[in-house]
Amino acid sequence: MSDRDMMPGDGRPRGGAGLSRRRVLQGGLAALPALLGARILAGEGPAGAGTTARAAEPPTPPAHDPTAHDWAFVMDTTTCIGCGRCVEACKLENDVPAEPETNRTWVELHVLGRDGSVAVTSPDGGIGSFPAGEAAIPAEAVANAYFVPRTCMQCENPPCTWVCPVSATYVTPDGVVLVDEGRCIGCGYCLEACPYGARYMVPAGEQTPKGTAGVVDKCTFCYHRISRGKLPACAEVCPVNARIFGDRNDPASAVSVALTERRVRAMKPSLGTRPRVFYTGLEGEVE
Amino acid sequence: MSVHVAGRSLDPSPRAVLRALGAEVAATPRALKLWLGLLLVMCGIGAGGAVLSLPPGWEVLGTSPSFEWGILITAYVFFAITTSGLCLASSLGTVFGVEMFLPLEKRHAILALLSLVTAFGIIALDLHYPVRMVFGAVLSPSPLSPMWWMGVFYGIYLVFLVTEVWSMFTGRWGIHRIACILSSITAVLAPTTLGAVFGILAARSFWHGAFTPPAMVATALLSGVALLGIVFALVHHYRLTGHERAGTLAIPAIRLLLAIMLPVTVLVVAWQMMFGLYGAVPGLADATAAILVGPLAPLFWIGRVVIGLALPIGLLLWPRTRTTPGLFAASCLTFVGIAVDRTVFVAAGQVVPNSAVAGTVSTPFAEYVPSLVEIAVVVGAFGFFGLVYTLAERYLPMDEHRGHLAGAFLGTSAPVLAPEPVLAPEPVLIAAATGPDGPAPEPPDPDADAALAASAAGWPGGAT
Repeated sequence: MSDRDMMPGDGRPRGGAGLSRRRVLQGGLAALPALLGARILAGEGPAGAGTTARAAEPPTPPAHDPTAHDWAFVMDTTTCIGCGRCVEACKLENDVPAEPETNRTWVELHVLGRDGSVAVTSPDGGIGSFPAGEAAIPAEAVANAYFVPRTCMQCENPPCTWVCPVSATYVTPDGVVLVDEGRCIGCGYCLEACPYGARYMVPAGEQTPKGTAGVVDKCTFCYHRISRGKLPACAEVCPVNARIFGDRNDPASAVSVALTERRVRAMKPSLGTRPRVFYTGLEGEVE
Repeated sequence: MSVHVAGRSLDPSPRAVLRALGAEVAATPRALKLWLGLLLVMCGIGAGGAVLSLPPGWEVLGTSPSFEWGILITAYVFFAITTSGLCLASSLGTVFGVEMFLPLEKRHAILALLSLVTAFGIIALDLHYPVRMVFGAVLSPSPLSPMWWMGVFYGIYLVFLVTEVWSMFTGRWGIHRIACILSSITAVLAPTTLGAVFGILAARSFWHGAFTPPAMVATALLSGVALLGIVFALVHHYRLTGHERAGTLAIPAIRLLLAIMLPVTVLVVAWQMMFGLYGAVPGLADATAAILVGPLAPLFWIGRVVIGLALPIGLLLWPRTRTTPGLFAASCLTFVGIAVDRTVFVAAGQVVPNSAVAGTVSTPFAEYVPSLVEIAVVVGAFGFFGLVYTLAERYLPMDEHRGHLAGAFLGTSAPVLAPEPVLAPEPVLIAAATGPDGPAPEPPDPDADAALAASAAGWPGGAT
């Protein structure tokens, strides 16, 4: 299933037969021939045999004009409470695998010590909030602490798209970086190139975001939703409006107002990636 | 029905083939049988790992989103760089006409081809959709991607190498000479593009920089020379085809290149660490700390520094180990050191996490433990490489071809088959190293003496 095929709000688990590592190893060799055959039949045709209509122009409903928008996020670290509902909503909306290391979005807790030390944690991506535990920095030595919602930065200058050897990842006219799952070869180069750790390789299992295992997946700003006039799932469920999403071309949009009225900054600006995700309340060294 | 091969009439029926195979096995020396058996077992292990790693998305690798490139990438880099080094070393003879490097040619070409095929095999197992890559690279080229260029150059290099080997065994010297030149050029370009795959990534401070591609070429030469050292020391020891010129020309040539490239690599590694420590650049300083005092320190200090550099240099320095067995040991140690170096290099770029994604990243360093499947594939790769080369050494005509003996690579226009004295290079090099006013040159080692004597006597086909 591709981004273009996803229906809004349809969060039912989909995908092929579940194959976790343990089940694979336990299953033994009996399943191998069938799976290998299935691989050849399903995945090994000429590149993009099913995607020859290259998605440089993303397939969207007729009403959506991708050239008319300039999507952006403002993440408000001063209001985020680290509840993790955004992570859960994203997993449900996009069939993101349940494994804790596979996420399109996640939440981090940044704790800054008075001595300049920084401790960053994100248990299970923050999906179950942040249980009290042993503090990396003693309470009396803490200078500041806040939650940081993370996702793909949808860079205007995305290093991930440059490095892809088969042009499987690309930027839509409205500024969203997508992955063509019919073209991706699973080399992992874009994972290495991303300075924000925003991509992951889809494992075989019960939930695969695009119905294809072994390809790279990442946040799409819920492209299937925003192209229909809806908010991304994470922004819609946020109880404190810490994820402010909108169109920068619309001066009255919440994101335009936030970008105008709040002091915001992007992560790792020195890399020249020009993210479309901005942060309020982020302190210098914590990136 | 019979098949005619090399002037012999063979019966192709299964029973006859099995009988012939059995006779061949019976005639194989016991030590060789054991060696081949070991390699076959390694291949079997590799085949098992390969089958398990084929289905896309199966979580049989030890990699994670924060540490996506594991030992399969390490092994790919190792073999892909080694193939270039082999070609670079040999090009001194085949392209530039330095006679002492000529005996390297036939074996280097086979080793280089095998190394490249092994590298391709490993990367195919690491990719989830390798066939898409072939089609995708052609149908939707991405010239901005160093990985695409790497594929292009290694693809071209494969064509030139195959042409080189084919023309070498079929005696097409005109084509062969052109193939040698072209493969040597691509042997430089290919590892630089491989270096650029890593060097271009601003997100990975340890890999990032213009220093990475040339460092790849430098270590490529060391890697290739070390492998040639192992092979030619064995050729000399077991008195295989061409062992005379191996002893007098190839082994001194390999010693010379090792003696140059090991200190060069010491400088490369030392400056890499110095730059890493300087100024506490985010990511780079942490990766350097991981290498020097962190989780990669045992690999670096024991594998890279002691085994891979200090001991081989010591063996080449100490007069008593300036022998063929000494060179063999130095080459083996260097080869291990290069493998460790690739492991450290690939790991160091990823050991500093880009984010605390999903809380699965350990701090301060990301962890990666290779899975049994990954280890099996790497074991199988070495098994395949060793097995095919051993068979090639046993069954292919490894004598130097007439192109060499006719002086074709030395720039003579007509065949020079009459024995003529040649100058041994060692005394010239010693003189150059010490300078006209320098101390008197030390007596060359026994092998160099032998080379001088042989040269003075005039080897068949030697040329000025």
